Formats: sequence, C-alpha cells, structure tokens
Amino acid sequence: MKDKYIVSSAPHVHDKTNVSMVMWNVVLALTPALAFAVYFWGIRSLTLTLLGAVSAVVTEALIQKMRKVPVTVNDGSAFLTGMLLSYNINPGAPWWMPIMGSVFAIAVGKQVFGGLGNNPVNPALLGRAFLLASWPSLMTSGWLKPKTGNLSGLNDLDAIASNLQSLSPKAYDLVTGATPLKVVQTLRDSSFVASINADAGEGIDLANRIFTNITEMASLKNLFWGNVGGCIGEVSAFALLLGAAYLLYKNIIEWRIPLFYIGTVFVLTFLFGPIQGSGYSMMLPFFHIFSGGLMLGAFFMATDYTTSPLTKNGRIIYAIGCGVLTVVIRLVGGYPEGVSYSILFMNVMTPLIDKFSAPKAFGRMK
Amino acid sequence: MKMFLKLGLTLLAFCMVATALLAYVNSLTKPKIEAIKIKEAQEAREMLIPDAEFEEVHGAIDYYIARDKTTKALKGYTFTAEKAGYSGAVKTMAAVDSSLTIINIKVVQQTETPGLGTNSTKPEFAAQFSGKNASQLIVDKDGGVAPNCIKALTGATITTRAVTNALKEYIDILSQEINGKGEAK
Amino acid sequence: MSFISELTKGIIKENPIFVIVLGMCPTLATSTSVSNALGMGMAATFVLVCSNIFISLIKNVTPDKIRIPVYVVVIAAFVSIVDMSMAAYLPALHKSLGLFIPLIVVNCIILGRAEAFANKNNVINSIADGIGMGLGFTLALTVVATIREVLGNGTWLNIKVMPSTYDPMLITLLAPGAFITLGFLMALMNMIKEKK
Repeated sequence: MKDKYIVSSAPHVHDKTNVSMVMWNVVLALTPALAFAVYFWGIRSLTLTLLGAVSAVVTEALIQKMRKVPVTVNDGSAFLTGMLLSYNINPGAPWWMPIMGSVFAIAVGKQVFGGLGNNPVNPALLGRAFLLASWPSLMTSGWLKPKTGNLSGLNDLDAIASNLQSLSPKAYDLVTGATPLKVVQTLRDSSFVASINADAGEGIDLANRIFTNITEMASLKNLFWGNVGGCIGEVSAFALLLGAAYLLYKNIIEWRIPLFYIGTVFVLTFLFGPIQGSGYSMMLPFFHIFSGGLMLGAFFMATDYTTSPLTKNGRIIYAIGCGVLTVVIRLVGGYPEGVSYSILFMNVMTPLIDKFSAPKAFGRMK
Repeated sequence: MKMFLKLGLTLLAFCMVATALLAYVNSLTKPKIEAIKIKEAQEAREMLIPDAEFEEVHGAIDYYIARDKTTKALKGYTFTAEKAGYSGAVKTMAAVDSSLTIINIKVVQQTETPGLGTNSTKPEFAAQFSGKNASQLIVDKDGGVAPNCIKALTGATITTRAVTNALKEYIDILSQEINGKGEAK
Repeated sequence: MSFISELTKGIIKENPIFVIVLGMCPTLATSTSVSNALGMGMAATFVLVCSNIFISLIKNVTPDKIRIPVYVVVIAAFVSIVDMSMAAYLPALHKSLGLFIPLIVVNCIILGRAEAFANKNNVINSIADGIGMGLGFTLALTVVATIREVLGNGTWLNIKVMPSTYDPMLITLLAPGAFITLGFLMALMNMIKEKK
C-alpha cells in the first residue's frame, strides 16, 4: 500500500515531452502510409496531402493573427489536422477538396472554440463530415485503381467469371468499380443480389462467388498491403500498423482505445457479419478490421488527447462505443463505412463518459 | 376566488369573439377555397392530358377517366399517388394512357430536403417517367438497368423511391380496377 | 422615442435575428432560398404590424395576469383570418406566401414584440415598431438566404450567378449549414459593434 501513494514535494521531474514533439512524432508515424499511397496511386496522393496540410497551417496562422493570440503553427497540430483530413479523401478528388476541408476543420472545428485543446470533436473528422455533406457524389466516387491490383481488392476476377465482359453491367461495375466495403454493403441488398444472380444465368450464385472471393486469404493480403481502392491514408493496414507501433513504443498513444475499438469490431463482425445465404467465412472479421478507415481511425484519430476520455475505464467505454457504432453503420447503415461518424459521435459523448467514469475521491462516500 | 372567475370570464370573452370571427370568415371563404382547389386540380389534369374531359371514379383508389372532348375516345387515366418520402408524404399526379404507360407526371406536394429531394419537382426528373410502364418503374439503385429504370436523384434516393414506388403501386391497383370492371369503356 | 427611431431600430441596432435572436425556427427553415426568405419576411411583417395594432388597441382592457394567453388567441385568430381570406380572394399570392402563414403563428417575433412593445406603447409607435422589426427580419433572412442559396445552389433568386464549373456546397442548404451561416453572421455583427 505504502509505495502506491508516493506524495512528493516539488520540484517534480520534468519530461521533455511537449505538444510539438507529440504532434511531429504522429506526423512521422503517418508517413509510411503516405509512401504506400504514392506507390499505389501515384504522386497525386502526396500533392493532395500537402495541399491539405499547408492550407491548414495557413488558416490557423491567419485566424490566430485575427484573434490577436500568439501564432502557434510550429507545434504541428494544424499540420497534423490537415494531413489527417487529406488522408480521409479519395486520391481521385479535385485539388480544392483538401483545401476546403482543411479550412473548415481549422476554422470551424478548432479556432472557433478557442484553438488547440478546446475543440469538442476531432477537427480533421469534422472537416471530412463537412466535405461528405457538401459534395456527397465527389466524395464517394472517383476512386483510383491501385497500380498493381483492382479497386475492389478481389484477388482473382477470373474465378468469378471466365470472361468479365460477359457479366451484366451491374455485376461488372460491382467487381471492378467499388471499394471492398462497398462491395460487401451492396451484397447485403437482397434485391440487388437477386438481380445479378438472375442475370448471371441458371444455377450460378454470383453473389456468393464474389463474397467468398473477397474474404479469401489472397484478397485479405491485398487489403493488408493496400492493393485496393480507398482514401489516401487508409490504403495500407501494414503501413498504419508500422506507424502505430512507433507511437506505442514512444508512449504517445495508449493501447486501450485501439485495442478495444478494433477488438469490438472484430467480435461484432464475427457474430453478425455473415451475409444470409452466402455461407460463412471465418475470415470475415479480418476483412472488416483491415478494410476501410478502421486502422487509421483507431490508432490516429480516436486517440486524440483533447477529444477522448481521460480515465482508463472511460477510454474503454469510449472505444467500445466507437466499435459498436462502426459495425452498426457498416452492417445496417446507409454508408459503407462508419469509422469517422462513430468517432465523431463518441467525441461528443466524451465529457459524459469522463463524468461517469471519474474515480471516487479517496474516503468519500457516494 | 372572485378574481380567478373574472380572469377566466375575460379570457372566455376573448376566445368567444375570436371563435365567432373565425367561424364567420370561414363560412365566407370555405366555398371559394374549395372551388379554387377543384379548379386547380382540373387545370393540372388538363395539363397532363390536354383536350380531354374527365370523369371521376371512386374505387380502391380515386382516379379520373380521360376521354377526348369531341370523339369521346378513351385517352387515359389520371390519379394522385402518395407515399412517404424522406420527410413527409410525397404526392405525385400522374397521367397514364389506355395501356397504362405513363404520359406525364408532376410532383404536386412534397416537403423534402431543399436542394436534394426538392429536385423531384423539376421537369428533368419528371421527364424520365414519360413512356415508362409499371415494370420499368424501378429505381436504378434497387437493381434497375438503364434505360428500363428511374435514375435516382443525387443524394435523394429515398425521395426517388417514394415517387417511383407510389406510381408503380397505383398503376398496379389501377390495372386491377380497370380489368375487374370488365372493359368499362 | 419618435416614430422614426422606432422604425429604424429594428433594422440594425435591435435586429430581431442577429441581436435579439428571436424567431430562429422560421429563420433556419425558410432561408434556403432568397425567394422563400422574401416571402416569409413579407408575410411576417404584415402579420406583425397588424398584431401590434390589435395588441396596442386592447392593452387597456387586457388584465395583466392573462395577457399572454390573450395575445396567443388574438395572434392565432388573426393569422387564421389572413390565411383564409388570402386563399379565397388572392389565390395567386396565397400560393407563394401561403406556405409560410402557419409558420408565422409560431414565430416568436410576433409574440415577443406584442409583449415587449405593443402592450406598453400607443398604436402609432406600435405600427412603427412592427414595420421596423418586420423589415429587420426580412433583411436578416435575405442575407442568410443569399449566402445559403449562392453557395448551396449557385443561384440567387433562381438566377444562376456562379460559373457552371462551380460544384454547389450542399451543406449550406441543410440544417447544419443554416446554423453555421447564422453563427458566422452573428460573429461578424459583434465584431463590427466592438470596433465602433
């Protein structure tokens, strides 16, 4: 008992950790993902990311000048916000998309509330929500095909149909023109499944073939390395895990949020993920944790200091909440992906979680 | 006690005067408003099927039989289909010819999201319904294949579905009505 | 207070939307297009002036304790009468403004001005207050609607003003866009006021 309550008088040992060091380390941890994005989709990914990051920095500096407070863009937080925002945009987006998003993220998401540490929700995700509400069609189309694979991440298109051109236009669009999560979401639509199966001919369960194919090991490998269509930053689970390992080693992010977030998604998709009538694949939970923005969201956005709970129990509640909402949106919602909305929603819940999970003051009865 | 009674009676007096006034104005205006409504509906029908006279039929649905003014030949039917959209009912007036192929439609009442669902009132949206029959009334997102489908409005698939499915349902009922009556031409 | 100062105060100094923050529901709902804003503004101004006249006239016979229910009855009855007469005798006007009339009943500017002004002042000043507040409401609504329609639809009063390459920012037409626009305009008003 005794050594658990060390009360010491000043001076306390000072660590060199500060805001600026944390922010630039996160930026560093995010660069492998960018390298993969440039490899798969070309230099365009880098241009868009830089446009987003630079316009975030410029916006922050201008607003801080206007507010007559010290300009603190060197701390890297604006750069990081801009970078994360761009990571949530598809690489085929027009050049002004990351700029609009960054300006909104910094101005409305951050500076309006008083700057770093006062924002109620993650500014980068707010920027993405703004872009998605403003230009829904531009944000959900124009995906780029990765250099060495295809958009849907299906490993073996030949196994689906010996001649792709013989597929009905709808089925062809699905296997060649949709992101992996969009494919799985579309296959949940029973009228769509009935229609492509009817077009494919007697006795061919095309939907089942596609579904089996997408959860096969080779397709999962595509997801893991990033050989699929998607947003700039979510391309490669491997690159993001690499960055996350660095941050965990440096003690910049804590393991609870990502572990419980990804764990919840894994368990829930294991239980509720299978599509009726399409057989069951043990690999489905792996598909769900490696696809979409889950890795990016769980390690780099849900862990944001300002907008996640302070207490350890609170963080677990928060992470499970994120996981449940993500799975609900993916499996029953109207969008194929739900990471950004679920984190935004739990961000808003954070003060409440903090209030209910605060440890009792020693010796005080409830 | 006396004060409460006095206050209550004063309020009652105000309400009675207001009610009396409203009742009076209502009795004056109601017939005129009804007449205007009927005239408007008639004009809308005439716009959908010109040069025709209309006969109202009350069945499983209310519809109008349109006959040519001079030859009395059957020109088609008009009806107002209704289904819940994204925020409230969407009412669509439609005209079909004698083989139940859509001649023209018009979304006459809706409270959808401005800029998205409200695009359903635009002529470009209505135009794609012309010439379609019941089997072609399917939204592209629900598995319809162009050109035998209705292209969903950007960001307003639910509104598109409400209009399309309402028309399909009403045409199906209408076809039963007409056939059930055994060629009432 | 003179007639003129009662008339002008509602336009900027005591603007019902930006300063008093009254009547937010119609502001958010009808500022999606400039034509809607003008329609709502004019209809509300008309009802506001008339209700101010009525309330001011009956202020001496209304017991203080039940004044709010009396105002509600007077305003609701008045709005219904306007609605019905318009539909019967001015159908064209009713078609464009009729949509807003039921909304006016719940517009707290009307009740707000009845309580804050008309029941304490004579008829002439109440008319001035009604016109001024109504114009201020219309002006503010039009400003909000201008921003929302131009950014969200690329048009102003249904006339195309943005280049054809412009991709409309749809969020400004949705509810969050209304709040954000209103927030920025209020901040701007406060900034101008502080500078003075």
